[in-house]
Amino acid sequence: MEKFSLQMKDIVKSYSGVTVLKGVSLNVRQGEIHALLGENGAGKTTLMNILGGVVPKDSGEIYLFGEPARISSPADSQALGIAFIHQELNVVNDLRVYENLFLGRELHRKNGMLDAKKMCEETAKIFSKMNVSIDPRAMMRDLETSYKQIVEIAKALLMDARLIIMDEPTTSLTQKEIDNVFNIIRGLTRDHDVTVIFISHKLGEVVDFCDSYTVLRNGENVASGSITQPDGTKINQADLARMMVGKDVLNQQVYEEREIGRVLLEVRDLTVGNRVKGVSFTLREGEILGITGLLGDGKDEMVRALFGDLRHTGTVLKDGKPLTVRHPSHAKKLGIGFLPPNRKENAIIKDLSVQDNINITVLEKCRRGIRLCRKKERTIAGEFVEKLRIKTDSLFCKITSLSGGNQQKCVLSKWLNAKPDVMIMSNPTQGVDVGAKNEIYTEIMKLARQKIGIIVTSGEAQEIIRLCDRCLVMYHGELRGELSRDQLTEENIMILSTGGSLN
Amino acid sequence: MQNTVSKQRLDSLKKVVSNNSIVLVVIAMIIAGTIAEGSQFLSFQNFMNILRNHAVIGIIALGMSFVIISGNIDLSVGAQMVAVAAITVSFVNNTGNVVLGLILGILAGCAMSTITGIIVTKGRVPSFIVTLGMMYIYRSLCMFYMQGGGFYLDKTKAPFYIQISNYMLFGKIPMPVVYYAVMFVLFWFISKYTKIGRHIYAVGSNEKATRLSGINTDRVKVLAYTLLGLAISVAAIVESSRMGSINSTSSGNAYELNAIAMTVIGGISMEGGKGRISGALWGMLILGIINNMITLLGVNVYLINAFKGVIIIAAVLLQRKDREL
Repeated sequence: MEKFSLQMKDIVKSYSGVTVLKGVSLNVRQGEIHALLGENGAGKTTLMNILGGVVPKDSGEIYLFGEPARISSPADSQALGIAFIHQELNVVNDLRVYENLFLGRELHRKNGMLDAKKMCEETAKIFSKMNVSIDPRAMMRDLETSYKQIVEIAKALLMDARLIIMDEPTTSLTQKEIDNVFNIIRGLTRDHDVTVIFISHKLGEVVDFCDSYTVLRNGENVASGSITQPDGTKINQADLARMMVGKDVLNQQVYEEREIGRVLLEVRDLTVGNRVKGVSFTLREGEILGITGLLGDGKDEMVRALFGDLRHTGTVLKDGKPLTVRHPSHAKKLGIGFLPPNRKENAIIKDLSVQDNINITVLEKCRRGIRLCRKKERTIAGEFVEKLRIKTDSLFCKITSLSGGNQQKCVLSKWLNAKPDVMIMSNPTQGVDVGAKNEIYTEIMKLARQKIGIIVTSGEAQEIIRLCDRCLVMYHGELRGELSRDQLTEENIMILSTGGSLN
Repeated sequence: MQNTVSKQRLDSLKKVVSNNSIVLVVIAMIIAGTIAEGSQFLSFQNFMNILRNHAVIGIIALGMSFVIISGNIDLSVGAQMVAVAAITVSFVNNTGNVVLGLILGILAGCAMSTITGIIVTKGRVPSFIVTLGMMYIYRSLCMFYMQGGGFYLDKTKAPFYIQISNYMLFGKIPMPVVYYAVMFVLFWFISKYTKIGRHIYAVGSNEKATRLSGINTDRVKVLAYTLLGLAISVAAIVESSRMGSINSTSSGNAYELNAIAMTVIGGISMEGGKGRISGALWGMLILGIINNMITLLGVNVYLINAFKGVIIIAAVLLQRKDREL
């Protein structure tokens, strides 16, 4: 009989009326590397949070190593031998390796002093089990990233973890480092009976390193099975991508044909440190250009550079004239607008009212003589509230009292107010409910009809497909490919953004 | 129907009260002072005294408000005030030209604060550190320049300079009070009705979002310092004229702390982005009334600062309620 490390059966979870897990099952065999796949929002994170005791499940059963398990807090989860390794490294760079390993669980001598010698020995023992040679007394900051990752794994082993969950652990690693980490994981599963659940968007790695997979979509199981198929060949990346994406996602048509005008913006060899490497493209009047890719692809850095928020090299031409954009205030003057990602952090001025947020970009328009004219401010902001149907009690409410969708409309208004010719939007519908999402899409279409050149960056393939005339796909800071509207499918986007190439 | 209307009225009354709790505190203190001391406290004369004694720090507090709202702080204001006064007084003593001396003083004060602002923004050094350093630099340079002593105004060369602060408008309003009123109106106007005023609030509230709104946030922060520089210069002139001298060791001591206390009591949040300029006025009145009452009641003067400390903490505790959890 097969032995399972983990079996999750019919897990249901809903947040404030929205069901995010609709009876999901996950079966992980002992000693395997199991890939958990799905788009953002498919329910992977929620499922793992239930396992980690971070959120409670509504119903369903969990069996760990054959026994029913009750997990109601992160401490329970840890006691049962489950360890998490997150995308961001949880290490303290200013401590030594062994100090990191024993952080919060330090060993003491009888007299109450720290027993550094014993801790070093234990650390060395674990490293030898993993077949790595790291000096326990080395400073954490001197290790390269993959070794930091390995220290995290060692930390999990120190806690006697038998099930390790790794959430996109490779996004910050180079290919060589990735190989290194995987060899060590492979050794652990083979020799020490450790099971690994591996969450990743990089399908190449999944096919290369994992034993089996489970795909979630919209909170449901779509498929699961072995990576190596019965005929001995490995499963196709494109098949996995298709399973992740599904086909029934398009609901409302927002895209409409438009006349696309002359070249508005030309970008040549745009480089930002080592995060964006020589990207070139053009944007035309009335065109909606999508830019997509996975986490760490450099698209956000690229548009921030275009807006003057990051130092960069390369040439940007607008209407054929070269621009120097060294600060967002230059960009605004040159007719470039930017709706940034992470609204709360980057776009909302929390102590100001709805009206003041909408007018912040164009206060000079609200002046009469040297003083700001309240009446003009009210008229301008009022127009936008009406036009974009922003739901607010009054113009003087604090912007934080609005819902996410309405806040986003205020941020959009702020830029429409400045009347840009080029509008860059990063994740324009992040944290926005479905209704407001469509309203924002309609608004973007309207802008395109007014001959504004629009760049939309998004990690959501559906968003790109529903809006864009053309799409650039980035991978590790480089332009991986360009898709015209008739080539725009989730499969194609997924293939390019995981580092593959079409055909 | 009648009921909901009166409830609405009650709600709006509650709102007015909670938005203006600080004014109620001032009124309560005035009533308490009147009960304790009667007409000796509640007289035009006494109030002019309170205002005159606190006008100099009050003017600095107005400027400090802008810097704090923009998310920074300035600890060097007391020392800088002495420096500006020293420059002005020695220029007036040497040339006898008061008008030119005033212009020079104001320009010097604005320039000093602008430099502070530039180091804070371009050097990306926390303002607490920069202005702590500036405080030592100004104070030490003043002591060096004035040989550890002070400068006395040459009353024969510039008799008008003394009149700047010691003249009584209509025979009963001390000029420092008038200067405070003018500065208050100016700063209140800037905070409420100008682009730079709005930008100062925006920068203090969310600098990143303000920058990404295409606003040169560094410039805004430097300008907040420049405005403080203007306030310091005016304070320096008022102080040196009133005293007829400026001293490198005894002038301007703890002015920075008193100015910060006034703004904080007035509800201007150290986090930035929050608070009204009128708060600095109420803060000044509260500190002024406390000092005055303690003197009138004959409380041991050594206890004044203990009262101040209690009031500062209490004021901030009271204002915490409108912060969301």
